[in-house]
Amino acid sequence: MSIILAALDTSTAARPVMETAMRIGQLTGADVQAVHVRGGPLESVDAPESLAARSEVPFRLLEGPVGPAVLAAAGAPDVIAVVIGARATPDGRRPVGDTARRILENAVRPVVVVPPEAVSPGLIQRLLVPLEGTEVSSRPVLQRLWPLLVADIELVVLHVFTDTTLPAMLDRPEYDLEILGREFLSRHCPHASYIELRTGPVATRVAEVSEEHDTDLIVLSWSQSPAPGRARVVREVLSGSAIPVLLLPDSPYNVDDPAGPMRVPS
Amino acid sequence: MQTLIERSRANPNIGRLTVSDPARRSILGGHGTDVALHETFEAIVFDWDGTAVPDRQADASGVRERIEALCAAGVHVIVVTGTHVGNIDDQLRARPQGRGQLYVCCNRGSEVFAFTGNGPKLVLQRTASPEEDRALDRAAERTVERLRTRGIEAKVVSERINRRKIDLIPVPAWADPKKADIALLAEAVTTRLASVGIANLAEVVALAADVSRGAGLADPRITSDVKHVEIGLTDKSDSAHWAADWLSQRGITGELVLIGGDEFGSIGGVVGSDSLMMVDAFTRAVVVSVGVEPGGVPHGVLHVGSGPKRFIELLDEQLSRRTALRVPNIDLDPAWVIPLPTTRAKERVAEALGALGNGFVGTRGSREEDGQGTAPLFLVNGVYTQDGHLLPGPNWTGLERPGVDRRHSERRLLDLRGGTLVRFGNEGSGGRSMRFVSVSSPHALALRAEAPEAHLQPGDPLRPPRDAADFEGEEHGCMFGARTGRAGAEIAVAARDRVVTTAGRRVVERLAAWVVAPTGKNRLDDAYDRLAQVEAMGFDTLLAEHRAAWACRWDDAEVVIEGDPEAELAARFAVFHLLNAAADTGEAAVGARGLTGNAYAGHVFWDADVFVLPVLTAIRPAAARAMLEYRIRRLPAARAAAEDQGLCGARFPWESAGDGSDVTPHLVRGQHNELIPIGTGSQEEHIVADVAWAAAHFAAWTGDTDFLARAGRELLIDTARYWASRIRTDADGNGHLNGVMGPDEYHELVDDNAYTNVMARWNLRRGAELLFRSGDTDTAATWRALAKGLVDGWSPQRGLYEQFAGYFELEPLLMSQVAPPPVAVDVLLGAKRVAGSQLIKQADVLMLHHLVPEEVVDGSLASCMAFYEPRTAHGSSLSPAIHASLLARVGEPDRALEMFRLAARLDLDDLTSTTAEGLHLATMGGVWHALAFGFLGVRAEGGMLAINPCLPDAWRALGLKFRFGGQPIGIRAEHDRVTIICHAPLLVRVADRAPASCEPGGTTFPLKTFPTQRSQR
Repeated sequence: MSIILAALDTSTAARPVMETAMRIGQLTGADVQAVHVRGGPLESVDAPESLAARSEVPFRLLEGPVGPAVLAAAGAPDVIAVVIGARATPDGRRPVGDTARRILENAVRPVVVVPPEAVSPGLIQRLLVPLEGTEVSSRPVLQRLWPLLVADIELVVLHVFTDTTLPAMLDRPEYDLEILGREFLSRHCPHASYIELRTGPVATRVAEVSEEHDTDLIVLSWSQSPAPGRARVVREVLSGSAIPVLLLPDSPYNVDDPAGPMRVPS
Repeated sequence: MQTLIERSRANPNIGRLTVSDPARRSILGGHGTDVALHETFEAIVFDWDGTAVPDRQADASGVRERIEALCAAGVHVIVVTGTHVGNIDDQLRARPQGRGQLYVCCNRGSEVFAFTGNGPKLVLQRTASPEEDRALDRAAERTVERLRTRGIEAKVVSERINRRKIDLIPVPAWADPKKADIALLAEAVTTRLASVGIANLAEVVALAADVSRGAGLADPRITSDVKHVEIGLTDKSDSAHWAADWLSQRGITGELVLIGGDEFGSIGGVVGSDSLMMVDAFTRAVVVSVGVEPGGVPHGVLHVGSGPKRFIELLDEQLSRRTALRVPNIDLDPAWVIPLPTTRAKERVAEALGALGNGFVGTRGSREEDGQGTAPLFLVNGVYTQDGHLLPGPNWTGLERPGVDRRHSERRLLDLRGGTLVRFGNEGSGGRSMRFVSVSSPHALALRAEAPEAHLQPGDPLRPPRDAADFEGEEHGCMFGARTGRAGAEIAVAARDRVVTTAGRRVVERLAAWVVAPTGKNRLDDAYDRLAQVEAMGFDTLLAEHRAAWACRWDDAEVVIEGDPEAELAARFAVFHLLNAAADTGEAAVGARGLTGNAYAGHVFWDADVFVLPVLTAIRPAAARAMLEYRIRRLPAARAAAEDQGLCGARFPWESAGDGSDVTPHLVRGQHNELIPIGTGSQEEHIVADVAWAAAHFAAWTGDTDFLARAGRELLIDTARYWASRIRTDADGNGHLNGVMGPDEYHELVDDNAYTNVMARWNLRRGAELLFRSGDTDTAATWRALAKGLVDGWSPQRGLYEQFAGYFELEPLLMSQVAPPPVAVDVLLGAKRVAGSQLIKQADVLMLHHLVPEEVVDGSLASCMAFYEPRTAHGSSLSPAIHASLLARVGEPDRALEMFRLAARLDLDDLTSTTAEGLHLATMGGVWHALAFGFLGVRAEGGMLAINPCLPDAWRALGLKFRFGGQPIGIRAEHDRVTIICHAPLLVRVADRAPASCEPGGTTFPLKTFPTQRSQR
């Protein structure tokens, strides 16, 4: 059995988290389980519990500091992904709150970050996968995301040419860009249905393409490194995205692991 | 033609790297174990007495039986012996039949006899002059005399052809020593010499050499079999040289040769006589000694001992490998073998790099099991679908490989010398395979694979190409047939598998044959008929003839870069694929990526005329002629295109496919799904003059005046006629070409592009010349006047050609302000920004200096290079090689080398990230341009060849072979000299010397050495 863990708080942001978790469950064929970390002995858990009940998913109450508690729950063998809220309110000061950031940086499972303003129109049908074109950044998509998906979905890959990834030569752009695109997909995401090649600021292009293609989920792989200068695109996308963002840790794992791609060795 | 290798022996200053260079060792790292013995050899070269037979009285029937069987199986056998042919024939009595040849090189290198069903026949003899004979006599007599004065009684015992033999121990006990007793004999001779104070046999040899030189022998060959010392004009090294040359002409080199002997190690301080067979040309040959070798064997010789019995076993193993159809070996010469990438990500790149072809067809180097991420493809030159794409034919290289895991170590190697693609897997499941697209039998395709039987099944021999809508396949008795396409554009292939399983090891041998435009009710019958012809030859014969044909190809197109093995290998890689791009009969449509992938749909651009054709003109003129034929047959379409525009003459299309109409896309979708018009088709009119230039270049280089008098004439005149109708003359009488695009495609719809205008001017003048000769003097005069009035952008004040009207007023951006080239700067800055700047995509004005230097102002190359080079993004794969060529011409060979490396490694390193869908043939052509026109400074000037070398410091020498004026030429340039090898008198102009005639043979000219720009900096 595979489980999608929906980490609910008591804010209004819990609803889109729950709804997104349900959609991710449909996407992956996994069951959804709601968890809530009690903020204190007197805190009422009625809201998250009833939200889970309305969604007909099991609810589990966790104790302890929120981040470690959610991470511990996410480390369970059956859990294949965790869904969390980006922040409590749409007008929150930071794109991702401290708790969410701590979970993101330490999770060994894929984490779906749901903005509080996210709306859930139905099934997830189209995923936007921005890829920088390196093996290390593509591997999580190939090896961790694709095996999860059971529903028919459309993968739209976006590659943004930057100073370091500009093509050296384009003899005939009308031909070469197509070839570049095909070869990019073949190397980095053979399951994709389509590729967009763009130039400019990456996060801006992600937002543009997401809107143009009406995608339901943005998928990013990242190194989980909070160091300055790293994960700028992740931060910017999380900041600007109105739709959920799935973050795939690109930590190395063994593809030969008989337990399957999601069984990350602890 | 004498190869540069041969020249290196005649003159140590001419030739290629010596075999002692570690880079020349096998990519396996040399042969340290007897693993190398368990390979399939194509030739066996061996000593007779002591190796093949115990002595000259022994029964040789066992050897004879095996030699005849080996010859029947196609193996060449060469016996190298000191004795005369009568002795060998009396003992051997071999009368071989079959493809393999038997030669006996006898009399210590002085004679070669071919053994056939009719007995021995002399094919080569070194004939001593009377003076040499007298000198031999003198040398022998004086050696005996000198020994006598030292106290040793010796005597001249025989006077053989080209040598004299002196017995050092003429005593009855050692009258006829056995080979097996050589250690005892050595002891007896050494004792005898020591008794008079002669240290060892080596001292006698040195004495004989010294005496011989004094007697008038310039190059005495002193050998010893311990009992005798021999003074001769030749020795076994001459036999080995002959054998190596004869074999290399058949593509048999290095590790394809087994050398056997019994005396490689030194005895008494004298090198073993069989070690003389280890000549440079046999560096990577597998050398085995079955002798006693009391003094050990030299490095590189496998000592297995056991005498002739063991040698017979080695022959037996070769026969059994042939019987079991084991996959042949290749010569793993690092100077000729390209290791293909093995990662999954580079799978398709490897397929393109490893593509094989013969000009008619091409097959990508896909793994036999293909599968996800691969793109196997079989294409036929010139067969396009109705929508103008090259039609993919049935794939013929597929096999089932259950259990094969690519992650195990395996190597795939493209053998440039032999034109084969081989795959060496791990011993467990990987197996081995070899395939080739026959050059000698163009309709034949061949594949042989072996592996443990659990890991190899033939599967469907013919498989549909990806996205094939019209694939049909069938079984036809033991054969399989399949076709793609429809009537008018159809490819049919027939194939048959032969499966042999021996001791758990399975071999699948597949022979296939292709045809286009099949006829008859059963559309596959033609292919079955072809297959029958192919099968009658068989895999081994096809391979032997294919290798020989490649040896012949390389003999006309040799590339040697001494001091830079990486550049040399890359250059050979380029030449290899260029040779595969066009057949040498009919017409050849050479697409931008040749037959190595489906990029650009196989469309033909100026790449073919300007970049590829000059190379083939030099190294395979018939193929270049076929490329021109493609244009000539499309003159009607070009005339129609001109007429459609209300113009005259012939307007060749920017992109063309089967029928010669313009197949350039008109629109492309932009980043925001918007439609962007593509201007190349309507604006890059320079293609018209490019086609004409190619025809004129072919005629000038080959000296084929008949071509311009007939087929090429219309082409030159109708293209000139186009320009005559296209030029608009202003009130001042100046001619203009408005709304065009030059090679720099960053600037569209410009007026008076210098490249276009000057090429048009050149075209008009050449057309006028032809008209004038045929009597149409009025039109000729009109065209000349038009040419004279056509503006060309030359600015005397600046000393520059302006790329187009208004170019100098654009934003003066330099690449140093933007990004280091090469870079697609239009992507970086956006097309609009770039169009408003002076940044250019590729050589534009500079192309004029490359193609028509006689049309530009003298001395303008340096100023134009200095101006345009910093503005060039090299955002086109066509650009770096041209800059390399021109930088060499302006005396900056080291900067030229940087550009050369960029071009030469472009596909090998997948620099554009598009190699996966085909190789950049024009870049490969540019690589040869840079070598020939740049670093060698070769140019046709009428019937004269101008040569002006300028080598980078890193290169010791550059050698090229090509044809000029109908004859094969070899040029080898060093920093201080250039040697020209020709067969007939050749008029040359070397550097700034007066024209001179080179007589047949090699002529060396000293060169002044000038400080280069680099060293001046």
